[in-house]
Amino acid sequence: MKRLLAVLALLVVLPAMAKDDVLHLYNWNNYMSDDTIKRFEVSCKCKVKQSYYGSNDELLAKLQAGAKGYDVLIPTMNAVDALIKRKALLELDKSKLPNLKNVMPQYLNTTFDPDNKYSAPYAMSITMLGYNDKKIKELGLPTDSWALIFDPKLLEKIKGKVTVLDDQREVFVAALKYLGYSANETDDAKLKEAKETIRRAKPYWAAFNAQSYIKELTVGNIWVAHGYSNDIFQANLDAQAAKRGFNIVHLLPKEGASLSLDAMVVPKNAPRPDLAFQFINFMLDGQNSADLTNLIGSGNPNNEAMKFIKAEIKANRAVFPDAESAKKLEMLRDLNAKELRTLSRLWTEVKLK
Amino acid sequence: MSPRAQKWVISGPPLGYLLIFFAIPTFIMVLASFRFAGEFGGLAPLVGTGNPDELSGLTFENYQRFFEDTIYLELFLKSFIYATVTTLLCLGVAYPLALMIARSDKRWRELLVLLVILPFWSNFLIRVYAWMIILGPQSGFARAVNGVLGTFGAEPIPLLYSPIAVIIGLVYVHLPFMVLPLYVNLEKHDPALLDAAQDLGAGAWQRFWKVTFPLSLPGVYAGAALVFIPALGIFAIPDILGGTDGILIGNVIKQQFLDARDWPFGSVLSMVLTVLAILFAGLAAWVARHQRI
Repeated sequence: MKRLLAVLALLVVLPAMAKDDVLHLYNWNNYMSDDTIKRFEVSCKCKVKQSYYGSNDELLAKLQAGAKGYDVLIPTMNAVDALIKRKALLELDKSKLPNLKNVMPQYLNTTFDPDNKYSAPYAMSITMLGYNDKKIKELGLPTDSWALIFDPKLLEKIKGKVTVLDDQREVFVAALKYLGYSANETDDAKLKEAKETIRRAKPYWAAFNAQSYIKELTVGNIWVAHGYSNDIFQANLDAQAAKRGFNIVHLLPKEGASLSLDAMVVPKNAPRPDLAFQFINFMLDGQNSADLTNLIGSGNPNNEAMKFIKAEIKANRAVFPDAESAKKLEMLRDLNAKELRTLSRLWTEVKLK
Repeated sequence: MSPRAQKWVISGPPLGYLLIFFAIPTFIMVLASFRFAGEFGGLAPLVGTGNPDELSGLTFENYQRFFEDTIYLELFLKSFIYATVTTLLCLGVAYPLALMIARSDKRWRELLVLLVILPFWSNFLIRVYAWMIILGPQSGFARAVNGVLGTFGAEPIPLLYSPIAVIIGLVYVHLPFMVLPLYVNLEKHDPALLDAAQDLGAGAWQRFWKVTFPLSLPGVYAGAALVFIPALGIFAIPDILGGTDGILIGNVIKQQFLDARDWPFGSVLSMVLTVLAILFAGLAAWVARHQRI
C-alpha cells in the first residue's frame, strides 16, 4: 500500500515538475544547436521549448499584440532598442551572468543598450551577397562590390539570376551603401537616390526573396543572392552535400554592409526569469557559443568561443572580417514612425513598378 | 419553448460567433483607421499623453494619405484585374469539370467530388511551394514550354517569378471553390428539361445555352464570389511566386502591419478592401436575385 502511495505521489509530482520547469525560448529558426539544448536541459534539469519568428518585425508585432509566456528572446539590437523603449524588458541580473566577461568589448555597451542593462550578445550576421563561383567566374564579373546587384552593365549578364531580400530596410541599406552613404541615412534626397538606384536594377532581378533563396542558390537557379551570411554559409553546405559542382561564396562588399548583432533579452513578463538568466549564462560559455558558429557559420562576439570554432570558418574573412572591413560595418538603428512611413512608402513605389 | 425562443436558441451560437469574431474586429479596424500610429507599432493612445509633440485622438489623415496620390488606387486596380482574371479562368476550367461530375454515374459522383477536395488535405503553402518546383527553370515543365517556344524561334521565358506564375497559383488554389457550388447547382437539374428541349428540336449547343447555363447561373455567381473575394486580398501567392513587381494590395496591407508598423494605414487599406468585397458580394447577390427563372 505504501509503495502504491509512493507511485501515486510520483505520478502526481512528476508531471507537475515537468510542467513547472520549462524555459520558453522565442528564437530565429535554426539558431541553436540541438546538442547545446540537450546539454542545457541536463544542466538545468528543465525542458526547453522553442518557438520561432522569421523577422524582427514579426517578433515586435507579435509582442505588441500582447503575446506572453516567453522567457528569452533573441532579437537584433535595433529591435532590442525598440523593446527597451517600450519598457518591455527585464533588467539583467549581472550577478547571475559571470560569463558576460567572455564577450568582446566592442560588442558591449553599444548605443542600443548602454551598459548592457538588458541584453547579452549572442551571435551576429552580416547582410551581404552570396554567389555561384563557377557561373560568376565564367562571366568574369567582379566579386568585391554591391555593383554586382545594382550596376545595370554588370546585371545584363546575369539577368533573372539575381534575388534580393524581401525586406525594405535591407534593400535600401544595400543601395545606400553602394552609393557611399551611411546605412542609417534618413535624408529624403539620398533615400530617393537609393530608390532610383533600386528601380534601375530591378528589371534585372528575378524576385524579392527572403524565404527560399538558400534553396535557389543551392540548386543553381539563382547565381547571386542578397542575403545573410549565415544563410549563404548554409547554401554552400547544401551545394556541397548535393555535389553540385560549384561553391556558394560569401561576398562582403568593399563599400561596407550592415551588421546584425543578435542579443538575448528577457521580457518583463517572463514566467521564469531564473531559468532565463541560467540559460543566458550558459550560452555565453565559449564552447556553447562556438557550437552555433560551427553549425550555421554565424559571426561570434565571444572571445572564449574562438578556440572552439572550426579553423575554416575562422579563416572566412566574410564571417570574421579583418579590421579594415570591420570598420565599414554598421549596425542598423531602429527607425522612428515617421522615418518608417517614408521608407515603406518608397518601398511600395519600388515594388509596384 | 415558444417557436420564437427556439429560433434564438438555434441561431444564437453562430450569431454570437459572428459578432465576436467578425463584427467586433471589423469595428476595431474601423476605429483604428481613424487613429494615429504608435511609435513602436500598435496605436497611439486615444487621449493626450501630455507630450505636445505626440499626436493622439482621431484623424482623417490616414484616409487623406490613401487618396493623396494614385499609387494605392493603382494597386487596387491591379489586384482587381488579377482577381477578375482568376475568377474567369476558374470558371472556364471548373464549369466543364462540374458538369462532367454532375452528369456522371451516381456511383462515381461522390468519389469525383472527393478528388476535387483532396488537395485541401495538404497545407496550402506546401501546395504553392510545389508550384515553385514545377515552374522553376530546371523543371521538365518549364523546359517543355521553352522547347516549344524555341521551335517557333522565341526566346526562352522564365515561368517562375512572373505574373503567369501568380495567376496559375491563384487559379490552382481557388479552383475547388468554383467547382463545388457549380456542382451542387448542376447536380439538381432535372434531365427531363433537356429531353423536352431535344424533343422540341434544340441541338446540343442550344440545349446548353438555353437550358443548362441559365439554370446554373446562381451557382456561377456563388462560385465567382467565393473565388473573387479571397483572390482580391491574397498576399502569400504573389510573395512566393511573383516577380519583382508581383505585389498586390494584400502584400501592402501585410507590410503596413509588420514592416512599417503603421496599423492605422493598414486598417485604411483593409477597410477599402472590405468595402469593395462587400460591394462585389452585394452585386452578385442582386444579379442572382434578378436573374431568377
